[in-house]
Amino acid sequence: MLNIQTRQDGTASVVSIQGKVNFEVTAQLRDVIRETVATAQPKLLVINLEGVSFIDSSGLGLLVAARNSVDKSGGKLHLCCLPPPVKKTFDQTNLTNYFSIFATEQDALRGA
Amino acid sequence: MAKGVVLVVDDEAPIRDILSFYLKRAGYQVLTAGHGAEALEEMGRLKPDLIISDLRMPQMSGDELCKRVKADPATQDIYFIILSALDGTASRIGGLALGADDMIPKPFHAQEVLAKVESTFRLIGMQKEIRRQNRELTSFQDRVREEMELAAALQMGMLPKLPGEAPGVRYTHRYLPASGIGGDIYDVLPLPDGGTAIMIADVSGHGVTAALISAMVKTSFENQVRLGGEPLAWAHGMNEDLCRSTLAEQFATAWLGCLEPTKNTLRYVAAGHCAPLRIIGGARGGLHRSEVLRGKGFMLGLDAQLPFVEQDAELQPGDRLVLYTDGLVEVEREDRTMLEEAGLRRLCAELPEASEAAADAVVAQARAFNAPAAFIDDVTLVILDRVG
Repeated sequence: MLNIQTRQDGTASVVSIQGKVNFEVTAQLRDVIRETVATAQPKLLVINLEGVSFIDSSGLGLLVAARNSVDKSGGKLHLCCLPPPVKKTFDQTNLTNYFSIFATEQDALRGA
Repeated sequence: MAKGVVLVVDDEAPIRDILSFYLKRAGYQVLTAGHGAEALEEMGRLKPDLIISDLRMPQMSGDELCKRVKADPATQDIYFIILSALDGTASRIGGLALGADDMIPKPFHAQEVLAKVESTFRLIGMQKEIRRQNRELTSFQDRVREEMELAAALQMGMLPKLPGEAPGVRYTHRYLPASGIGGDIYDVLPLPDGGTAIMIADVSGHGVTAALISAMVKTSFENQVRLGGEPLAWAHGMNEDLCRSTLAEQFATAWLGCLEPTKNTLRYVAAGHCAPLRIIGGARGGLHRSEVLRGKGFMLGLDAQLPFVEQDAELQPGDRLVLYTDGLVEVEREDRTMLEEAGLRRLCAELPEASEAAADAVVAQARAFNAPAAFIDDVTLVILDRVG
């Protein structure tokens, strides 16, 4: 089970995730992201990964899909607060260069 | 059409008549018998859904009839209600112990019997529906299982045949899908110019979808290799193939290499895949240094425009290449640590000379490191020895 929180910050939506992001929970996370994008139609979607201890390939796939769907609707996706194990996975898959990644949530919100 | 078939068994004709009258008026088809033996004869002609039977009768009593009906697999699902003058809890329990499904004490109101029959038929209807759905589910499950087994066999058939040989290399693999079929795939192909093409890939997710895409990855690799060119061109071609044919969240990490045995060089592209280990002199067994064949490239299937980078490494005769998918090193232990690349490198520092024994040792030691946690993702390991 993932712990997911969403909040609005002006025209931006922030989704904060806590737990292990793997195959079993991607459906739950996908629903939250889809609903946030559909209802708030944010110019900027920030996904805060501070509480994520592990992310597998299905989780990465979900983030890639999220970026693509936000791109299509003319918005932006920023990731922030990657803990070292998650950062390592991103580095290994070279996704560090695919996403806009910020050290803090404030930076991610400002970096729009 | 009748709502169902009821067999009324009683040695007293007026009781049979009254019950017949009410039941027929309510829309049931009614059979009658004066005792157990006659009831069995009637049942030979037409199988009832429900039997209402008196207990004390000549020739064959109700309890004997009940025992026989419930003992015969052909009739045991017939609902059996005992109609008995023996009132009181003790005889009720006695009747139910015979295997009867319900009891109605005598004297009775015909309306009471009718109400019981109606509720019994609702129950019979539900049971029939449940049995039907159960049969459907079971046969669906069987079909799915058979198809999964077929798919798993088919997928195993997509892997290179062992013992594997190609120009300049000998190799073996261990393929451990997480759920019968998996999203891992690898391939080793001889090239027309005397070289060898090597590919390992891990499709995101598990199960059938991942397995289908892994077949697609293999076909795409074969096509690219057939077109000639080098790993960089293969990566671009495969990326375009995957971008075209997969859904939003599906992609593959891959490592593509091309060995030129005459030059002892390996050109490769890492597409988000865990970097293989080159164990220098490792094919001779014993303790050796290793090198990590890292690269910077995106996963296949993300975006057709993304760039890839080709890199070079040496691969001398006697060297050993360890290719793997992340399932091997990413099992979280109780202390929340994982084997990871560093751990795999440590346990690959000293392996047996024979590649089969080396592959067994790697899997066994990875398992021992993780224990009691088990592999949860697809796991593929390829040990590829450079022969001179």
